[in-house]
Amino acid sequence: MLAFLGRSTIQKLITLFFVSVISFLIIHLAPGEPSQIDPLNPKFTQEVLERFRKQFHLDEPLYKQYYIFYRDLFAGKSVSWKDNRPVLGKIYERFLNSLPLFILGTLITWTLSFPVGIHAAIRRGSFYDRSTTFLAYLLISIPGFFFAYMLIIFVVTRFHVPVIGMETFGLAPRGLLIPAMDRVWHLLLPSILFAAGGIAVLSRYVRNQMLEVESQDYVRTARAKGLPADKVHYKHALRNALLPFVTMFGLILPGLLGGSVIIESIFSWPGMGRMAYEAILARDYPVILTVNFISAILVLIGTFISDLLYMIVDPRIRL
Amino acid sequence: MIGVNEKSSPTPPEGGVLEAPKKTLFQENWGLFKRNRLALAGLMIFLIFFIIALTGRILTYGRNPYFNPALVRLQEKLRPPLSMPNLETLKPEEVPRFGVYLFGTDDLGRDVFSRMLQGAWVSLTVGFVAVGIAVVIGVFLGGIAGYYGSSRVRTGHLLAFVLLGWGVIDLLTVVVTILRGQGGINIFLGRIAVDIFMVLIGAGIATLLIRMGYSKGRRPIPTGLSVLFLKLFSVDVLITGLIDIMLCFPSFFLILTVVALLERSIFNIMAVIGLTSWMGAARFIRAEFLSLREQDFVTAATALGVPNWRIIFRHMVPNAMAPVLVSATIGIATAILTEAGLSFLGFGVPPPDATWGNILSNGKNFLFDAPWLTFVPGFAVLIVVLAFNLFGEGLRDVLNPKLRER
Repeated sequence: MLAFLGRSTIQKLITLFFVSVISFLIIHLAPGEPSQIDPLNPKFTQEVLERFRKQFHLDEPLYKQYYIFYRDLFAGKSVSWKDNRPVLGKIYERFLNSLPLFILGTLITWTLSFPVGIHAAIRRGSFYDRSTTFLAYLLISIPGFFFAYMLIIFVVTRFHVPVIGMETFGLAPRGLLIPAMDRVWHLLLPSILFAAGGIAVLSRYVRNQMLEVESQDYVRTARAKGLPADKVHYKHALRNALLPFVTMFGLILPGLLGGSVIIESIFSWPGMGRMAYEAILARDYPVILTVNFISAILVLIGTFISDLLYMIVDPRIRL
Repeated sequence: MIGVNEKSSPTPPEGGVLEAPKKTLFQENWGLFKRNRLALAGLMIFLIFFIIALTGRILTYGRNPYFNPALVRLQEKLRPPLSMPNLETLKPEEVPRFGVYLFGTDDLGRDVFSRMLQGAWVSLTVGFVAVGIAVVIGVFLGGIAGYYGSSRVRTGHLLAFVLLGWGVIDLLTVVVTILRGQGGINIFLGRIAVDIFMVLIGAGIATLLIRMGYSKGRRPIPTGLSVLFLKLFSVDVLITGLIDIMLCFPSFFLILTVVALLERSIFNIMAVIGLTSWMGAARFIRAEFLSLREQDFVTAATALGVPNWRIIFRHMVPNAMAPVLVSATIGIATAILTEAGLSFLGFGVPPPDATWGNILSNGKNFLFDAPWLTFVPGFAVLIVVLAFNLFGEGLRDVLNPKLRER
């Protein structure tokens, strides 16, 4: 156990180091510089450009820039080139905005996928199974932005509620209920979109997992000795089918960041995805690199947790 | 007489036990595939889409195409689908084909039907080229990891790689800078000399290592150069490490970053999507190769003296392609979605060329006044991606006997 922990930690640190190097190289070797973002702006004289380059160490060799950047990052001193605010503070602020979206989306995904997948597996080949299968493919295949606009058209024309942004601007603070409902409406659509793809993938996975367990010998034995169907399905099969999903708790961590760029742009949701998008547009290297670095850490921690959980849950696995 | 009889209709001995199967593998698979109606529908849509994209390319190509996707008719903007053009205000050459706007017009009065035709080709090529790149890289790296996984990387390999890579890339940058006229050749003379020196040393080390590799340790390592032959780690560790590193990047964000930094062009998008999505294929091929390497037919081929490259490409790759084929089909769907997403965010193909993503992106400003600008490309992307996904899943069921319905 300890050996596994140590080996895994070292491995992940090495991976993280290379990720930091590669992302740094990608950004700095790409043509163009942040100082050239607006070449037609008359305020950007040669002198200003030089000062800009000096200020942000762009005139140093690459390895020095790399050292300076990650030193500042770990010291918590790195600042955004766009507005000179500390990067970590900026990310934390946006993270708090993204968090409700992430939590609600994950809750919807996990509460819906399991019943749907289990029922589809139990009634294999039925109309229910085939229609949920098709629905799942539909949800995987629909472009997120198109789905978003369909939902916006539907909700706005049907219920006449505003959905763009985090809350309605200038809403009079009357009581508790109206602002709360307003927040819920604004939260609902992006969360559903956030969950849509996840539901499709996870419910299919649950179904396949359940089918695999249902074809095992001990399930046939349970059925043969005359147990009621419900007991066979939910007590014998389901418990074992759930095993791999424990590990998926670790893998949802990276979802905090990924895949939300388009949805947050459409809904003008000031979350992390949108911040990353704005940073890319402004060539705000510190923000881009930090977001990338944090998401790599999340991925690595996620896989680490899932490995660990697997070891705890399934005694057959010895890593 | 007996001989003729035998030749014309070979009667199987012992009741047909030794008879070869009547169906070929393809026929058998096709029979299985046909039973899955959704997958069959997917294949049909895929073929139709292919034909539409091809004819669309031909009909919208050139200076004066049959369907003109770039023709601006400001007096005819935002006309709904199936509306007739106002013939009094249009010049004869501006009248749309068939005398009707099949899918309406956009905010500049361009015919959406023509633009959709043009966009179909973009979606198709992005999907196929990006996945093609991914599969080639995946098969190459996965194959090396699976076949040569246990051999060791030596210090010389790394050194040669770094020197060659650095030298060639730096030379190319210098050449590009000079060709663009951003500096004379005189400024770069020193840098060019250093680069050429590095390339030469790198090439020298590489040849040395290759020649030593051929002699299989029979020749002694030249004294003084033994530092080049230190064993570091296995090839497998190197490549799986690379895969792990690539999986750490948030893929859409990475693609977005690179595409935003590079020039806007369709080729960059294809290359970037391809370069960031090869990990699945590499993993599949590696796993398949690890098990295939132990099989008897590979041992037999090795014993016959078949060269390594021939074992890999002639014997092993065809046996390992099934899961890659499935993931490639689904990868095309993902690539089309990614391209549409990039176009939607404004990083796609530069205007005036149309893609389904940027038609949709323009259409969002007229969401309530001209919903067809959103719905037509949206449903087109949905149907094509759905077709690829269904086809891929059907293929998976056929190619993986374990998943077949019992």
